Amino acid sequence: MPFQTRSSRTRQSTVLLVGIMVLILTIVAVMAAVLLANGTKETSMQLLQWKGRGTTKNLQEVILGRCYNYITTVNPELRDKDCQKIWETMQKAFIYKNPCNITTEDYQPLLDLASHTIPCNKSLFWSKTNDLVHRYTKTNHNFLTLEDTLLGYIADGVSWCGNPFSPGINYESCPKWSECESNPSSVYWKMASKMFAEGACGVVQVMLNGSIDAGAFRSNSIFGSVEIFNLDPDKVSTVQIWLMQNIGGPPRPVQLLQCASDPDHADCTLCPNSVQ
Amino acid sequence: MMNSFFLSLLVGLLFSKDYVKPTEIDGKKKWKGEGTTPNLESIVIGRCYEYIRIVNPSVGEKNCTKIWEAFKKAFMNKDPCNILPSDYELFINLSLHTIPPNKSLFWENNHLLVTSYSDRTRRYMPLCDTLIGSFGDFLNWCGQANDTGFNYDSCPTTEECENNAVETFWKIASITYAKQSSGAIYVMLNGSAIGGAYPVKGFFADYEVPNFQKDRISQIEIWVMDDIGGPDLDSCGRGSVQILEERLKTMGYDITCIDNYKSVLLLKCLDYLNHPDCSIVSSAPSTQKGLVSSDRDGSWSRLIYTIFVVFVFEICFNLQN
Repeated sequence: MPFQTRSSRTRQSTVLLVGIMVLILTIVAVMAAVLLANGTKETSMQLLQWKGRGTTKNLQEVILGRCYNYITTVNPELRDKDCQKIWETMQKAFIYKNPCNITTEDYQPLLDLASHTIPCNKSLFWSKTNDLVHRYTKTNHNFLTLEDTLLGYIADGVSWCGNPFSPGINYESCPKWSECESNPSSVYWKMASKMFAEGACGVVQVMLNGSIDAGAFRSNSIFGSVEIFNLDPDKVSTVQIWLMQNIGGPPRPVQLLQCASDPDHADCTLCPNSVQ
Repeated sequence: MMNSFFLSLLVGLLFSKDYVKPTEIDGKKKWKGEGTTPNLESIVIGRCYEYIRIVNPSVGEKNCTKIWEAFKKAFMNKDPCNILPSDYELFINLSLHTIPPNKSLFWENNHLLVTSYSDRTRRYMPLCDTLIGSFGDFLNWCGQANDTGFNYDSCPTTEECENNAVETFWKIASITYAKQSSGAIYVMLNGSAIGGAYPVKGFFADYEVPNFQKDRISQIEIWVMDDIGGPDLDSCGRGSVQILEERLKTMGYDITCIDNYKSVLLLKCLDYLNHPDCSIVSSAPSTQKGLVSSDRDGSWSRLIYTIFVVFVFEICFNLQN
């Protein structure tokens, strides 16, 4: 019976066709799922991973606020500085860039906008005495460290780095100096330190830590490798070194600050004829 | 006709006053105080984020823009002489955070010293080192009626009207701060202040002491600091300090009072090295290195030391070049 053969053949073909279509659809679905999974992995892989802490959240607001605070209350002589522009040039220096490829040229526009002169005899350099030196300059306004200048003030204690892909800033992690030297932070501080040293004049002070094992003066510290070489012998008349020990050592003014944290130490007793 | 002309002139004059800029009348500023701090918004929002991200991240997540909006709402578009503590309620609720016990530091007449000594919450947490305080510390602001902007020209002083935006801010901030304080409480007063170390009418007396939470405070310690070389007008057990001590004792608190608390005195002495009030006796023999100047030998030893150091430095410089 030719008719019956034809209909059974048609039914067979239909079943075969449906079977193939289902197979194709399954393969497509599986491929799509695999591709999607790979896709997400790829996006997350586009954020480079580093060992240091990531960019400070709300970096823009912090930097802007600090800049305005500085020019309004800390150093009103600089009230005409354009903080918005300063932030923009700072951001441009590192955003969407590989954070291991930053150069001093990247920061040059920022340097031009934010640098300012420092009065003579006020520059105080430091090495391995961060905490102490800044507590000192906060209370004794006869000296200024880099962190008391606009460039230092806005960036102190803050971290930042870019990422080659969106969103351009890496909030998860940033490279440590040991991972790559030309990272945004290290280059920034190197450039700012150089500027600070070049601008120093008159009597210059440096506070070193005499109580650390590695030695008070280290030639590979920023002071030893950058600032020292950028002091201008024609402008600097004297360099005074304050070698700080843990309480029990010499120079008194800063020793007082150490004593403020440990007033009952034997070395911190006041003369009997002083106010009590 | 002349009558109607003069009448219209009169009417015109009467209405013209409304079109004069509220901030200036006849070219003179409206109020006697300084105007709003320039760039206030950027400074305040920056301080807010700086506080929650860097100074004290333990306060957790806060929406600084929302807090700023609530802050503005308290005084914008209102009569700048009629701002009430309740106007700041939303702002306070959004920026509230806990103050660790034994860290509260109250004060009168030594703002800068307190800021230096507290060191941004490192030693203590005075009001200016809280999120609320950071919104107002060293800043000034006011609005104006029928205008949604800040008045940058001038703001009313307390003498002109007590219920101005800044005064009211500190009132509610002080009340809130006192209510949140616990454990050992510290109070720094100025023993050289004219009018007494403890102003019987002041923020501390009127808004903070009455809001101490008796059941959460273990003791109160008062430090009376004299200016270096300044007069000793008040001290523990005398004058206005005695009034404060009596008041707190009557309220049932365990009180200690210290004249020229050593730790703070040492900090004050940073700027007065050679003053007799600030000599420190060094007992350790190792400090007598000969190269280091003591106060007596002063300038000569220091000069020799400096020359020595410069000499060494010059050698190093030349070696490097």
